[in-house]
Amino acid sequence: MSYFSRRRRLSAVALTSALAFGLAACGGDDSDGGGGGGGGGDSDDPIRIGTSLPLTGEFSQPGQAAEQGYQIWKNMVNENGGLLGRDVELVVKDDASNQNTIVADYNALIGQDKVDLLLGTFSSLLNLPASAVAEKAKMVYVEPAGGSPEMFSRGFKFLFFSQQATADRQGLVFADWVANLPEDERPKTAAYPTLDDPFAAPVVEGAREALEAAGVETVYEETYAIDTKNFDTIVSAIKNADPDLVFHGAQFEDGIGMTRAMLKAGLKPEMFFQTNAPSFGDQFSEGVGEENTEGVFFAVSHHPDAETPGNAEFVQAYEEEYGGMPPEDAADAYAAGQVLQAAVEAVGSIEDQQALADWLRENEVETILGPLSWDENGAPTGEFLIGQWQGGEAQIVLPEDAATAEIKRDWTPGGAG
Amino acid sequence: MTELLQTLVLGLLLGGVYALAASGLTLIFGVMRVINIAHGAFLIVGAFVTYWLWDSFGIDPLLAIVFTTPIVFAIGWLTYKVVVSPVRTAPMASTVLLTFGLALVLEGAMGEIWGNNSTAVRPSYTDESFTIGGLFLPKAQVYGGLIAVVVLTLLWVLLTKTWLGRAIRAAATNPASAELVGIKVAAVAALVFGIGIAAAGAGGAITAVLYPFVPGSHYAWIARLLAIVVLGGLGSLNGAVLGALLFGLAETMTSAYVSPAWATAVPYAIVFAVLLLRPQGILGMRLREDAVPA
Amino acid sequence: MSVPKPIWVGRALVLAAAVLLLVFPQVSDDLYYQNMIILSLVFAIGASGLSIISGFAGYISLGQGAFIGLGGYTIGVLATRMPETSVWVWVPVAGVVAAVVALVLGFVSLRSRGPAFVIITVAFLFLVQVIAVNWVSLTNGTAGLTLPLPQWDFEIGNQPFYYVLLGLLALQLLMTWWIRRTKLGMGLIAIREDETKAATIGISLPTHKIIAFMASAIFVGMAGAVYGYYLTFIDPRGMFSILLSVQLILSMLIGGKATLWGPVLGAFLIEWLNETANNDWGGGNTRLFLFGGLLVAVVIFLPQGILPAVESGLAWLRTRGKAGLVGARIGTGGSLASLTDRVQLVDRSTIPDRAVLEVKGLHKAFGGVKAVDDASFAVPEGSITGLIGPNGSGKTTIFNLIDDTIRADAGEIWLDGKRIDGLAPWERAHRGLGRTFQITRLFREMTVLENVVAVQRRFSVAQLGKVAVSGAEAKAAEELLEFVGMRAFRDQKARALSYGQQKLVELAQILMLDPKVILLDEPAGGINPVLIDRMGEMIRELNSYGKTFLIVEHNMPFVLGLCDPVHVLARGRTMASGTPDEIQRDPAVIDAYLGEDFELDYRDEHKVGQ
Repeated sequence: MSYFSRRRRLSAVALTSALAFGLAACGGDDSDGGGGGGGGGDSDDPIRIGTSLPLTGEFSQPGQAAEQGYQIWKNMVNENGGLLGRDVELVVKDDASNQNTIVADYNALIGQDKVDLLLGTFSSLLNLPASAVAEKAKMVYVEPAGGSPEMFSRGFKFLFFSQQATADRQGLVFADWVANLPEDERPKTAAYPTLDDPFAAPVVEGAREALEAAGVETVYEETYAIDTKNFDTIVSAIKNADPDLVFHGAQFEDGIGMTRAMLKAGLKPEMFFQTNAPSFGDQFSEGVGEENTEGVFFAVSHHPDAETPGNAEFVQAYEEEYGGMPPEDAADAYAAGQVLQAAVEAVGSIEDQQALADWLRENEVETILGPLSWDENGAPTGEFLIGQWQGGEAQIVLPEDAATAEIKRDWTPGGAG
Repeated sequence: MTELLQTLVLGLLLGGVYALAASGLTLIFGVMRVINIAHGAFLIVGAFVTYWLWDSFGIDPLLAIVFTTPIVFAIGWLTYKVVVSPVRTAPMASTVLLTFGLALVLEGAMGEIWGNNSTAVRPSYTDESFTIGGLFLPKAQVYGGLIAVVVLTLLWVLLTKTWLGRAIRAAATNPASAELVGIKVAAVAALVFGIGIAAAGAGGAITAVLYPFVPGSHYAWIARLLAIVVLGGLGSLNGAVLGALLFGLAETMTSAYVSPAWATAVPYAIVFAVLLLRPQGILGMRLREDAVPA
Repeated sequence: MSVPKPIWVGRALVLAAAVLLLVFPQVSDDLYYQNMIILSLVFAIGASGLSIISGFAGYISLGQGAFIGLGGYTIGVLATRMPETSVWVWVPVAGVVAAVVALVLGFVSLRSRGPAFVIITVAFLFLVQVIAVNWVSLTNGTAGLTLPLPQWDFEIGNQPFYYVLLGLLALQLLMTWWIRRTKLGMGLIAIREDETKAATIGISLPTHKIIAFMASAIFVGMAGAVYGYYLTFIDPRGMFSILLSVQLILSMLIGGKATLWGPVLGAFLIEWLNETANNDWGGGNTRLFLFGGLLVAVVIFLPQGILPAVESGLAWLRTRGKAGLVGARIGTGGSLASLTDRVQLVDRSTIPDRAVLEVKGLHKAFGGVKAVDDASFAVPEGSITGLIGPNGSGKTTIFNLIDDTIRADAGEIWLDGKRIDGLAPWERAHRGLGRTFQITRLFREMTVLENVVAVQRRFSVAQLGKVAVSGAEAKAAEELLEFVGMRAFRDQKARALSYGQQKLVELAQILMLDPKVILLDEPAGGINPVLIDRMGEMIRELNSYGKTFLIVEHNMPFVLGLCDPVHVLARGRTMASGTPDEIQRDPAVIDAYLGEDFELDYRDEHKVGQ
């Protein structure tokens, strides 16, 4: 149980831990007497599921969100009678955003903690080595993030990605919509500042190709390094290029930094698309100022108001435990849990990992992100959602059948109409 | 032309803040021959203290410097007494390792206290700019630059016009003789370490308003600060200021005219080149090499 | 020197550890421990390599992790480009790549040392990283390179990685051990102890350093390649993380730098701590506390590392209560007649009448101060020439210019009819120039005997591979120590000697060079009158066998009784030359120098106290 007491984020988390602990204990009481008297049958012991997340270091933002998602999933499974009638116990390690640590962690999960199932980690950079450990041990590896196309070119048989599409396809829905705008509304020029990063860069790449094909002229295209702190010069250069659309490939911190630099410099393009950062909910609006979010586009896998099965319950549980709206990464992690759960329940056992993998390749799984299915290599075969900030809230605007709000064209920072 | 001018102005504004942050590093080296690798970490400590004052008490982050600086000074002074003073006479390479270890401990401590999430301080004026001609001058940057100039001036007055300043310079030039004329070199060293760290803290307060930060941000900072003091000449305050301005320009120029991807390479390239080609930097003095080691 | 007992205990421990490591994968398939050992092996190889440059040569590098990364990238780039070839083929290639890149650091070390070098190595690491990030066509940028999963049977698991790394560690240790006992290793330690001095006793700094840097990287590059293959994924952030370098340096320091097993012990210890911290103590921040705190603690409390601390603890236990040798009497000294082996004896009557050393128009300024200003004089072959002058007249600076401890601004230096002012210090030493220092500069951590055999009379790469302390060299060194009366102290650390004893050892050291000209900087300074007489005797005896001396000295009776001719310096230039009698009568000299008796006495007394 020490895994619960490890979390540190002040009182909110302390509360969560207590809650989680309590829930787990309750779940234990409800089922077959919490494991029976010493060394009883295997099937009474909880199912141990291992993961290592970047709880500290440069990916700590999404890493911590992912942990919340996993915990909620575990709590909800246990409340509903567990997995195959057994409680679920999470073993969460912290890899500190460090690659040799994550390899050590997954080896420890498999060799030392002897977990029954694995869940993935956050970011391609960590999922790439971690998934290889799982593949070598022939264990199913469902990853909530890690959409870099590289992931799925290695012919892995136990790897599955629990989002709708790989990174290179995330901007396409938006690009298609722009391409289909009436002539006078379509932006003439676009700028593409991009973080040098394996998930941001492919999104921009994919979208730029589609937009150029639609006749949108590229007036600025530069990649900046991961530890760039000062965006004033980049913004100044973009301002000189005077684009109608800024399509920014970002992670979180640089997304905030760039947006603020744009506001400072008075760079206010008609349209503004940014990857990742705007999907962080409150953290984004606090970072850039709520009045500046109006009209910002982003690609996203999840929305709290989406009418997917189980979504409302997830959002409610999240709000109860952590307060506020769940960030996308928490939802993705929850969905990863759902995917694993679906496979285990369909196969009816956790012994045969090969059978779990085979089942996932053949079947579609209903998740809070919508239905997910996979190709040969574990890459998902769906399309991403496009979100937009409206009235201080992140809404889904594309595709139309999943939309929670009407799409608007312009970015209007500073509350100006 | 406007773009060039804009780049120049942004570079100089950035350089002002860099100068403040680097002044402590060069001061500490000048007096005690310690290259304080933890300097960037102290800067981030300054940023977090600023965040804490702003978030908990609503104090304007730039005005909060009045509180930030003494707090960080105390932390620096204490650190010196506990950790640095035992190895003051050890070889310089040892103190480099020691202060590197210190940086890691500070990083861990900040993560423990404030968390590892990206933190930003946003007073009302953060996203506003002055516009002069076609140029935009971000308000926060302008205020930050002005404060940096004020603090640097105070530091300069302290070093050149006061008794303490003379004691510090005496201790830097010749510790043994300074001791003979009644200067307590150990006490001066502790004071200098505190002052140097406090300057980093003040720099941190300004950067908190300008950029988001996490405990791990200190790596990027120490690389920059080292590049600046190495460029200006280790131990020279004027050199650090000049180095900082040049460095700010070099960074913005690379970002604007070469590629932002290579801008992060600038500090390392400068360190590499300067230490190899002109180890004394722009304003530093080469020590007489045949002088008998004490 | 260790008494056999602890050595055998140590060997038994090492043997047991080796056997344990060899059989572990056969008796356990615990992935956790396999992984921990695999990582420990990588770090052990890295730390042991680091110990060659940081432990032996004293160049602390925070860029060692870059060679693991370079190895990983070599295998990544080549394996993805040539999928048909076995991945293992690229492991040795990675070693070569790492060694070649290490050349860069080797060249850097020629121009910078101390903290500047440490900072440069950090910059080097980050520059390599930036290049890996931006050279997308080769490295695939931040997206990294993925290697194919190993094709071998599932049952074999990680064993190939494990055993290849174990083999690499064995090779690395063999190399470290070999370097330590050869001339190369002795030269590196001399460089660590006092680089300037090392150059003046004939140690070619560039050759030593460059070989050391390449040696420090070659197996590390190979280990990095295996590591990359094991991870199956290589990217700039992970491969060139500064924490990797920190872990290496920490392993080396905590175990004991410059020892054979210290870095290995440190690597296993730190990796175990690392994993334990991560699994049981709360991960990320704890690990920062742990690494940072350990680094601080080691620097403050255990600068020597565990193994040396244990060793000196044992040594203290064994020698407790026994009297040290330091207080022993200096020997009465031997005669040169027995030294035919090392020191070439010349019949004085065959010495031609010419200058063996000549300086013409030497200049050196420090900032605005002209320390040497147009100095010219000659040292006749077979003479004992004196160089006197008031304090600050530039005597020591002229010595420094002659042996290139500092480079002259202008002027010519001729030795044995050849111009040497363009040559490096060790080249001058090889041509027959030997020099002692005003304040002795022995290699403090070496024994007396090692100090003497560290000398390299000529240069050849082949001799670097020779065993350092044995055979003819050691015999010659012992004879020279006998001559100066210090043979009884051969196994004492130089730092334990008194000042006078150090002077004698330094003389023996210089004689090991068998120089044509011996430059003595204040041979009688700071030692007792008996020793001064003995010093004079030795100089005379050496001179009688044809050795030429140039002596700087303030002890006027000593100089005037010994030297002929004598040159007088004032304000950086030669103001008078002649026999002792002529000099003593020269009014200008009396006015400028000899009248200042008080100054002289004060200075000498002051120096004794140092």
